[in-house]
Amino acid sequence: MIIMKSRLNVIDNSGALIVECIKVLRNARWASIGDEIVVSVKSAKPVPSSTPGTSATSKIRKGDVVRAVIVRTKKEIPRADGRFIRFDDNACVLINNQKQPIGSRILGLVARELREKKWVKIVSMAPKVI
Amino acid sequence: MRLEKCYFCSSTVYPGHGTMFVRNDSKMFRFCRSKCSKNFKMKRNPRKLGWTKAFRKAAGKEMAVDSTFEFEKRRNVPVRYNRELVSKTVQSMKRISEIKARRERAFFQQRMASKPEQEREQNIKEIEKNLHILSTPATRAKVEEERVKIVSRNTESSKN
Repeated sequence: MIIMKSRLNVIDNSGALIVECIKVLRNARWASIGDEIVVSVKSAKPVPSSTPGTSATSKIRKGDVVRAVIVRTKKEIPRADGRFIRFDDNACVLINNQKQPIGSRILGLVARELREKKWVKIVSMAPKVI
Repeated sequence: MRLEKCYFCSSTVYPGHGTMFVRNDSKMFRFCRSKCSKNFKMKRNPRKLGWTKAFRKAAGKEMAVDSTFEFEKRRNVPVRYNRELVSKTVQSMKRISEIKARRERAFFQQRMASKPEQEREQNIKEIEKNLHILSTPATRAKVEEERVKIVSRNTESSKN
């Protein structure tokens, strides 16, 4: 149940650490696993200032506004087999406007629901899908 | 479909029931009902709650070590279907549950063997405590006699 002002952990290597939801891109009050949201980056890994040649322009900094996909929620979600599943925290993965993940790696587990919502790239990058 | 065991009370979690909690180190905790889930959230220890299997086993109220438990295990190797094997398994399941029930009964009887003796001693203690309520000297004498008997028996057993 991610609404405006919800804070999420970022579990990819895009550079952002904690983001805040500023818009749910769904015709509903709240977003769940597999839904797209707009976030503002609240804290990020420091970007080394003098690194020539690297894609410094694509690095995420504090204050950036980007899109993200929710991959884990604390609120339990129903599975097709009738069970409910919940995770330890709210987490997301940052994506660009072409709906491709910004980071090249995902650290930590993601929910299986992402595959059903056509986030196959994220699922294939994840070390563990539950 | 698998029938999982509840992390908290060790009862069977049937399909369509219960919730699953996945910790960030990807350890899964399955719960059979909200009672177990809530108790887990409150960080309670299942070994300290009387209604869980973990408590009953830890407190010696149920069989903890037995060869019949070996059959009920999580096996991650799929078995190819075999008609003969299935019929044999079904047969042996019945037989195993029979043996298990018999052993459980024996365990219970053994556990309850010293119960009448304990109750008797407790009753006498209670009467002794409230001896002033008893009126007739005859009953008092009888109680006194019983008490001496128990004391002498206890001293003998402690000597041995």
